[in-house]
Amino acid sequence: MTRATPTTVRPADLGALRDAVLDSAGTLGVTGAGTAAAWGGTLAPVDTVIDVGGLTGIITHNPGDMTVSVHAGTPLRELQSALADHGQQVSFDAARVDVGATVGGLVATADGGPAALVHGTLRDLVIGMTIVLADGTVARTGGHVIKNVTGYDLAKLMHGSYGTLGVVAEVVLRLHPVPKATATLAVDCTLDDAAAHAGRIFDRPLDPAAVEWYSTGSASGTLLVRMEGTVDALPRRVERLHSILGAAADSGAWDAHAAAVRGAPGQAVLRIGARPSRLAALVGSLPCATAAVGLGTGVATVALPADAVADAHAAVHAAGGTSVLRDRPDGFTGPAWGPPPSAIALLRSVKRTLDPDGRLGPGRLAPWLQEDPR
Amino acid sequence: MALDDAARAALARAVGTENVIDDPVGRRAYECDGLTGFRVVPDLVVLPRDAAAVAAAVRACAAHHVPFVARGAGTGLSGGALPVADGIVVSLARLKAVLDVDPVDRRATVRPGVTNLEITAAAAPHGLYYAPDPSSQQVCTIGGNVAENSGGAHCLKYGFTSNHVLAMEVVLPDGTVVTLGGDSAEQSGPDLRGVFLGSEGTLGIATSITVRLLRVPETVRTLLADFPSVEAASDVVSDIVAAGIVPAAVEMMDTLAIEAAEEAVHAGYTVGVPAALVVELDGPVEECDVQFAQVKEICDRHGCTRLHIAGSVDERAAIWRGRKAAFAAVGRISPDYFVQDGVVPRTRLAETLTRIRAMGEEAGLRVANVFHAGDGNLHPLVLYSAAAGETDRAEALSSGIAELCVEMGGALSGEHGIGTDKACSMPTMFGEVDLATMDRVRRAFDPDGICNPGKVLPTPRLCGERPGRYRPHPLEESGLIERL
Repeated sequence: MTRATPTTVRPADLGALRDAVLDSAGTLGVTGAGTAAAWGGTLAPVDTVIDVGGLTGIITHNPGDMTVSVHAGTPLRELQSALADHGQQVSFDAARVDVGATVGGLVATADGGPAALVHGTLRDLVIGMTIVLADGTVARTGGHVIKNVTGYDLAKLMHGSYGTLGVVAEVVLRLHPVPKATATLAVDCTLDDAAAHAGRIFDRPLDPAAVEWYSTGSASGTLLVRMEGTVDALPRRVERLHSILGAAADSGAWDAHAAAVRGAPGQAVLRIGARPSRLAALVGSLPCATAAVGLGTGVATVALPADAVADAHAAVHAAGGTSVLRDRPDGFTGPAWGPPPSAIALLRSVKRTLDPDGRLGPGRLAPWLQEDPR
Repeated sequence: MALDDAARAALARAVGTENVIDDPVGRRAYECDGLTGFRVVPDLVVLPRDAAAVAAAVRACAAHHVPFVARGAGTGLSGGALPVADGIVVSLARLKAVLDVDPVDRRATVRPGVTNLEITAAAAPHGLYYAPDPSSQQVCTIGGNVAENSGGAHCLKYGFTSNHVLAMEVVLPDGTVVTLGGDSAEQSGPDLRGVFLGSEGTLGIATSITVRLLRVPETVRTLLADFPSVEAASDVVSDIVAAGIVPAAVEMMDTLAIEAAEEAVHAGYTVGVPAALVVELDGPVEECDVQFAQVKEICDRHGCTRLHIAGSVDERAAIWRGRKAAFAAVGRISPDYFVQDGVVPRTRLAETLTRIRAMGEEAGLRVANVFHAGDGNLHPLVLYSAAAGETDRAEALSSGIAELCVEMGGALSGEHGIGTDKACSMPTMFGEVDLATMDRVRRAFDPDGICNPGKVLPTPRLCGERPGRYRPHPLEESGLIERL
């Protein structure tokens, strides 16, 4: 069957979003800023694209409670800039925030950055959500308080769903104070040496905020260790770290790190998760053009030749890890996901229950969510 | 319909006859959990000796349509482990192995019957610990913590169970065994692990749990401060937060709670003061020095009448003993009590406490307050005497307080769970559509409805045909959200 160009709708509020889902027939794709449009499985041709880019802005910000609710199409960097006036932040720093990624898109793709070492990902920072299901159901989960075990946490289902289970409409986030002082030490070294350094850091009570190694080509690279604290205390803590690493301060290097995570156009970028102690050897075994490796988080992002992707999925899986392809060269048709998780039947059951007609995000989790697995 | 012979035989085969309790006296020991007001004697109790036997027991339940309720130490306060009529209890008490402690990747893998504190004990030789610390941590099991997404005094800074569980081996309600989560936070696809955590035993049974371990902080500073009013103490909490300090814990107790705790454990609290705060900071020495000085200054600024700084490990332990004993200690000043667990936005703490006091006076009952002030999680203890016929009044007041928390923009439960206790109050916080959506997710895990049925979501059987009346959420009334 051939399809005409999909109809794009751009709702301006929650009601219009619900109506857009109800008034359309057939399959639906969801887009925000489009910064991860090529990530994961390729979206199959759809009848309607819902652009949530019109759902923007802060709904409520309670500085005293350190919570904020926003429309899902709000670019996170805009939110961060508004929160900074109050000395607050969402403690989340995925590389694509800098290029305009929306809060909803960051949730749907389960993205994360170096700050995950201490603060986790949006999975850990989202405290409430409003979602629209494929049948037009508008459901709320969680609330506006940090601590809350009332009912099932449906927001978790949206995290990493790539638009296949529902449309994220509103998100409530917990906030943290912006650190009064920040410092980064940088050491030029190989990945193996960086892993050894990281081991020494984690063996001591230094409380680093982020520990990452990145490389933009050669065998060597740079270890970055970020420290956060108070103006009065941080210098002495940095001295302690310096005595271990013998490194120089270089806070600007985080931009280079984020660029390595994003990869260059035309590259196949693979996101990898594994036990931290296995990650350096795993990444070292892959033919990486560039790499960014979270030595405490166990999360790495590497750029590979397109023909190495399938083997890389297999190598990660063999090491007990998980992998997903992010950007890739035009025309690439290799696998986006590694082998399915053991709970694949459960995942399909959840999909059937929330989206029985298979309307949302066809192809994004392919081949896992085959609607008809004959 | 009671359990038939075929189902009994299948369950005995699954776990071994010697691991089945079917005599009435033995079964009665499982009739309730920490919420003792609700009691149901199960038809059968099975105590599997290993994870394979748990899966076999669940498969037998699925084959014979027998409802089952998983149970750890039975310390839950919301009736989540209350047995169901004509169903069985699957006790995880014998799955007590610590399978692995990995000091390099800083994680431990344990069976569900291991207690919260046993994980920290196993990690301690490596300078590591398990962070979530419910007050019952000496006895409550990690399996129960997973079910309830348990918190504790230190979760303000360190997060809840959900933030600390990396992976679980789970027996789904049809008896299949899956792994949810994995070796890192980077997992492919929707976060099913996150949905399972805090699902109160309604989506399956975890038989192996891998948790993150944290490095023991370099230093810990703890102070106990008295204040002339609850309002003054609340202002201190707000100012600490406004100063950009994230304390490890901030706990508040009012006059009645202090009186009860002192009578029980003599921890050095000042009897008679309107409010006491416990503030704890931890982390690198340099940071604690700076921030602890700020906290002391904030306390002074708000009229602190006594400031006691723990000068030793023993003194810190005494302060915490007083705080953690407060619940049970209330039994010393009242024959009976109900515990609530609502959460309010921190900025509305003082207002909420004033309202609770007025509600208590109106009902002619005393309410003691001991709570996690840093995250707004209240634990009002409604004191009453069943012998004096005050039970119904106390129950109404207790529910009214939980619903007040929702009205304040908060939540019904911060850490104890909904279970049986608050299922009928769910419509005060969520609309019909929200609850129906949660029920759809439940059906995706448990299409036959045999896994801890009747908990969390309101049912006609538990709550009557109209399970509580719907009231617009305050955010809805103020136009901030709309119920479409």
